[in-house]
Amino acid sequence: MRRSDLGEFEEIVLLTVAATTPMAYSVAIAEELEKETGHAVSTGAVHAALQRLEQKGYLSSYLGEATQERGGRRKRLFTMTAYGGKILSDVRSVRNNLWSRIEPETLTKIGLDFS
Amino acid sequence: MTPDKSSKPNALPPRWLDKLASKICAPHLREELIGDLQERYTLRLNRYGRQKAILFYVKEVIALLQFSILKRKPSPYPSLPLFSFEMIRNYIKIGSRVLLKNKGYTFIHLIGLSIGLWACMMVATVVIDSLSYDKQWSRSKDIYRIVSADKKGEGIVERMSSSHEGLAQELQKLYPEVQAWSMFSNPSRYFKLKGTDPEGIKTQLLRMDTTAWGMLDIKVLSGNPRHFVDGTNNIVLTKSYAAKFFPGQDLTGKIIYDIPSYQSKGNPYLITGIVDDLPYNSHLRADVIWVEQNKPEAYAAVGFYSYSQNYVMLKPGTDIASFTSRVNKWYSAVNKDKGAKQIEFQPMESIYLHSDFSDGQRVKGDARIIQIFSGTALLLLFIACVNFVNLSTARAFARLKEAGMRRILSGSRYQLIIQFLTETLILFALSVAAAATLYYLSLHSVEDFLGHRLVQTFTTNLSLAGYAVLTIFVTGLVTGLYPAWLISGFKPANTLRGIITTAVGQNTLRKSLVVLQFSISIVILLATIVVWKQLSLMENKNLGYDKNNLLSIGSVSWDGKADAFKTELLRIPGVVRASTSQWLPTQGGGYMTKEVPDPINAERRIQVWFIAGDVDLPATLGLKLVSGRMFSSSFSTDALNADSLQQADFAKYEQSSLMQASLMTATAAKLLGVKQLNEQIASTKTVPIGTIADFNNESLYEPVKPTLILAHRSPQYGGMLIRVQPGTERQVTASVQRLWKQFYPSKLLDINEVNDLLFKQYESEIKLQQLFIFFSGLTMFLSALGIFGLVVQAAEQRSKEVGIRKVLGASVAGIVALLSKDFLKLVMIAIVVASPLAWLSLTKWLEHYPFRTDINWWIFVVTGIGALAMTLLTISFQALRAALADPVKSLRNE
Repeated sequence: MRRSDLGEFEEIVLLTVAATTPMAYSVAIAEELEKETGHAVSTGAVHAALQRLEQKGYLSSYLGEATQERGGRRKRLFTMTAYGGKILSDVRSVRNNLWSRIEPETLTKIGLDFS
Repeated sequence: MTPDKSSKPNALPPRWLDKLASKICAPHLREELIGDLQERYTLRLNRYGRQKAILFYVKEVIALLQFSILKRKPSPYPSLPLFSFEMIRNYIKIGSRVLLKNKGYTFIHLIGLSIGLWACMMVATVVIDSLSYDKQWSRSKDIYRIVSADKKGEGIVERMSSSHEGLAQELQKLYPEVQAWSMFSNPSRYFKLKGTDPEGIKTQLLRMDTTAWGMLDIKVLSGNPRHFVDGTNNIVLTKSYAAKFFPGQDLTGKIIYDIPSYQSKGNPYLITGIVDDLPYNSHLRADVIWVEQNKPEAYAAVGFYSYSQNYVMLKPGTDIASFTSRVNKWYSAVNKDKGAKQIEFQPMESIYLHSDFSDGQRVKGDARIIQIFSGTALLLLFIACVNFVNLSTARAFARLKEAGMRRILSGSRYQLIIQFLTETLILFALSVAAAATLYYLSLHSVEDFLGHRLVQTFTTNLSLAGYAVLTIFVTGLVTGLYPAWLISGFKPANTLRGIITTAVGQNTLRKSLVVLQFSISIVILLATIVVWKQLSLMENKNLGYDKNNLLSIGSVSWDGKADAFKTELLRIPGVVRASTSQWLPTQGGGYMTKEVPDPINAERRIQVWFIAGDVDLPATLGLKLVSGRMFSSSFSTDALNADSLQQADFAKYEQSSLMQASLMTATAAKLLGVKQLNEQIASTKTVPIGTIADFNNESLYEPVKPTLILAHRSPQYGGMLIRVQPGTERQVTASVQRLWKQFYPSKLLDINEVNDLLFKQYESEIKLQQLFIFFSGLTMFLSALGIFGLVVQAAEQRSKEVGIRKVLGASVAGIVALLSKDFLKLVMIAIVVASPLAWLSLTKWLEHYPFRTDINWWIFVVTGIGALAMTLLTISFQALRAALADPVKSLRNE
């Protein structure tokens, strides 16, 4: 597994794509991220991340319909590829593993007790 | 806030931000990214309102600045290179076809540019040649001419190119910086080269000291001229002079004789060698060098001394400013005059152009004429380029469809620009060829006009020609860039549909260029009229004496036969009166000057000029008596036999000269405060017997000088003035020459008409006038040419409008007026702009002259009417043609 391939921002964007499919495009993703994180997220940053993810093969894209609020321009819609899904689940299992290995006392100590 | 999209269909971000975003974004990403930005903008607009949305949008645009968005995708099509061989061939092919198709315009362009370029090349030649003077000597930077500068009151400095003959030698003794010194002068001699020629060959000499061999680089070809032969005049011939008069002979050691003015026998000159020709572009230009071994007397501040033109050569790298101030400190200490007399060191290289104070200098240029000359030529080229820009921009209409089509067929804007520039450069190249031909053909006439040869020309100096071509190339590029940029900048979609955006219709630039062009022409035209008026004033002004029918004989030594010669002379039919004279018109203000204390202000001194002749002088000159009486031979005190008295007994001469009778001019009487005639004036040591009206003894560059006229009897030296009957000048001259042969068989006779001599004084004004007539003609012609092109264009463009107007019943006169009105308005603005400018500069120019012409109001009226009439004449033909054209023809075509 080439774990280092996926940056943190990219990982979140990838997850958001998965969450907003089938309407995953830059604006929807950026708005979603803003809502979730509470920070302003620029379209350009999201777009750049999406481009990189597509280059790496985690995403595929196609041009969608034009709408009026876009000044008659079409949007690029993204869907996750199977490879992208595998990467995401790999990342998740690594995290889960690590989480499960944390001792309950430690969890309490650092105030992360979910039980 | 309730989102209500339909109520805000125009909820778009500011256009400029959108444009900026599009510029940043790579073309292949624009569709999705700009769309995203606008969608988010709409979202935010609904959420936060307009202001915040714009702020966010700005942030978004800034966030676009990252590599993955900026990076342009390489074009999938091979781009056409701008400068492949095929493209260049194509540019040239299309360019020449376009030029051939529009023959009329090409012709107008060619004529305008050729004239402009020719004038500039010519003037550049003259300027470069003038600047090349005296630069070729290897030590030219270290050689200076000593100039005496006498302070004559506040701000008035009188400069002289000569100084005390011992000064340079003294400076060498005192200052180690002075490496060498020499006197230089440029006399002329009439050499008798063959036994038979009675007139002799007029030869220009360079008279120099033996020390000058070390100052100037003169290449000796044969003989040993550096070795001075004692006891005779040493001369050295230049190669071409020797070859011209003594082809194939070895001349060293030969003796030639001159024809003298003073001695009765010719002086011998020993030829000591042959040298290479002296450079022509030097103020020391000469055919023969006369070497002398001078031993001037030591410098003394007081006493009698002679003046000469002294040159010093300083050590390389001497700071001339500090050297001058040190020398002047010493000089004023020696003179004990608190610095009233100063010395200046004039660099050798500036002597040619900046020597208007140096009267005797034979070879000199006039920096003022050079300046006027070059200014006018640059303006001419400017007008030519303006014509070019104007016409090309006007032509833009005709080319718009072509430009649009080319761009649709995937031609880039740069290719279009290069296409248009190629046309410009082809035109410039043709014009250069025409101008160069014209230049080559007219070089001789220009040399005649200038009165000297041009050494540095584009035909003799190839590197100069290279620079010229390069300069013209750059000018062409600059001139062609604006029209090319303009024409190639239109959107093809609009131009092909026939929509012409405002940029071409909005021709403020063109209009202001026309105004500028006409202002220049009008200023030059006004200058021409004023120069002409000034010259005619100087030629026709009443000088106070009768300058017509007056002959003069140049100064000679009379050998005691002056009276006899005069008696014989008076017998010649046609001679009315004659007088010996120690002063001749155009030879300064008098034969001597005296500084006398001002009777009104004891601290000031005034200069009085003296003219001497025999008792007939005032009558011969035709001076007008105001009060008292003229000289008469019946009064023994009127005319002294100065020379013989002086020889016999100097004390007695002094005594009688104190009571010498004199005539004063009105100005002299006023300045000297003389109220009573026949009483001795102490300061001038004369007794005035009469007052005469003022006369201009010098040229009209000088104000009237206070002058006293004395009478001498039987003078030793001097010239002669001869009053003849009108129309007999030629016969009398011939008779005088015959008489001269009897009296002085070996002496030089220099006989002239005074009128001719006077006329020659104003040579520089005459040249200026010719120059202005020529240039004003050219600028007017070029301006007219430009406006002609524009009116042709306007008539073409508005042919439909004219057609419709005619169909609706407009008269021919109305249409002509419609087409002419615009241009006449521009010319009128130009008149208003140019007149005060011209008035100011011409008033300033006229300040040089003590006798100046008025700038009357009618000059401006005449010029204005002239310019308007010329414009009307130029445009009326085209306007009439447009107005008379059949409206069917212009309207049918759609």
